[in-house]
Amino acid sequence: MSGAPLSATAIVAALRAGRLSARAVVEDSLGRIRAQDATINAFTDVVAERALARADALDAARARGEETGPLSGVPFAVKNLFDIAGLPTRAGSLINRGRAPAARDGFLVRRLEAAGAVLLGGLNMGEYAYDFTGENAHDGPSRNPRDIAHMAGGSSGGSGAAVAAGMVPLALGSDTNGSIRVPSSLCGLFGLKPTYGRLSREGSFPFVSSLDHLGPMAGSVADLALSYDAMQGPDAEDPMQAPRPIEPTLPELEKGLGGLRIAVAGGHFARGGEPVAQQAVALAAQALGASRVVDIPEAARARAAAYVITAAEGAALHAERLRARPQDFDPDVRDRLIGGLAIPAGWVARAQRFRRWYQARVMALFQEVELILAPATPARAPLLGQKTLVLEGQTVPLRPNLGIYTQPVSFIGLPVVAVPLWPDAGLPIGVQIIAPPWREDLALRAARALERDGVARCGVFQAG
Amino acid sequence: MTEPLPPVTEEEARAAVALAARLAGVPLREEWQAAAATSYLATVAAARLVLDFPLEDEAEYAPVFRPVFRA
Repeated sequence: MSGAPLSATAIVAALRAGRLSARAVVEDSLGRIRAQDATINAFTDVVAERALARADALDAARARGEETGPLSGVPFAVKNLFDIAGLPTRAGSLINRGRAPAARDGFLVRRLEAAGAVLLGGLNMGEYAYDFTGENAHDGPSRNPRDIAHMAGGSSGGSGAAVAAGMVPLALGSDTNGSIRVPSSLCGLFGLKPTYGRLSREGSFPFVSSLDHLGPMAGSVADLALSYDAMQGPDAEDPMQAPRPIEPTLPELEKGLGGLRIAVAGGHFARGGEPVAQQAVALAAQALGASRVVDIPEAARARAAAYVITAAEGAALHAERLRARPQDFDPDVRDRLIGGLAIPAGWVARAQRFRRWYQARVMALFQEVELILAPATPARAPLLGQKTLVLEGQTVPLRPNLGIYTQPVSFIGLPVVAVPLWPDAGLPIGVQIIAPPWREDLALRAARALERDGVARCGVFQAG
Repeated sequence: MTEPLPPVTEEEARAAVALAARLAGVPLREEWQAAAATSYLATVAAARLVLDFPLEDEAEYAPVFRPVFRA
């Protein structure tokens, strides 16, 4: 294999046609990792032996005429908060490296491998997922393959970097306040944050149970749908998973925009970003025929409520570790977790009550429109090490403000597809396509329409 | 309408964080205190937005948050 890497969809087709073996695909990915990762720093663990053994098993099964699944031979990697059998689940931290190795893979890893995919390793991330930058005090920053002087975004920074560098066509991330959508925006990828409670979180290290989601990042909408469909399914071991049937999205992708009412989010989502963020939304809106503007009520307050819940639940989760080993945290994370210890319980209860109020108001909007467009980030990828952003003439701290547009959406668990746009010759920036709960299919359909029309593109992988 | 909540000074934030750390048994080094207090003040500002918003007493939160949508 040579040239641009293949998309997941193209790999599956090539294996089915007998043009490629799983071993050749996996060796190609491992070669790309060897060639690039010293610079990109996306991987923290590469499980090459396991991956090659798995590829050989897939090839042997196919040689026997067995069906090996819809993701046959597709290499993938996971943010290192997912359990990988035999490795301690580090979650971006130094402290967790002392944990016992995971006895088995996390649920979503098992689902993908059951569908024929091949795990290549664990990916760099912001410590304990409390991050929007992709920087990490212990493992170094993930670098943005679009320009290595820039951030990959976080906290799923290694996931964004590994896919944008073409090392793997598919990566898993987690998204509590935007950690799939921010790196998707900064690295120029498609990312799916499903509805809260859709995909099992079993076998992943938590951050904020009230807000944690898991999902895929990829170079095309079809690859997102292919992997998302394979990961759906009930898991009795995740107490937060909602009882939903498997609802495949891949058959829906080419249905187009017929009957979809699409609006642009105004108010909070039209303020506070660099002009390029709004330009990207305008391009998507024009292509999707979205001329209406809707106001998501109290979105800034929703962001604030997510902020309070995050700080309090995060501090509560890590209190024992703060007590025993405070010096071993990433300083940026430790300071916020210690600050979170002082949050009164009443504030958290109030934020949770507000969450219910807000959800009811946003659901009313979905009686009028099926999809809402909003910027994914207020700016393109900042430089590594950058600490502030200048937004509307104001200098603001970078870390919390990269999530101003993602937090009010994940706060009530809405499914979102982040799509990459290129408003000019500079770096990409993402747009969120926001759908009602359980309608990932609608957001993916609109994303596919933008991709088909060349409005949204990743540009890293060969489609076939 | 109730009166606006009083402002919190940096000194008060430092004291609140120091007490919370002590209650949690977290050793708080001198050099960490300013950043932890700054972080706490950012959360205070966010919490003000939430606390200032009127909610009915009957507005309960769900023990398990499950998004609902009926088309």
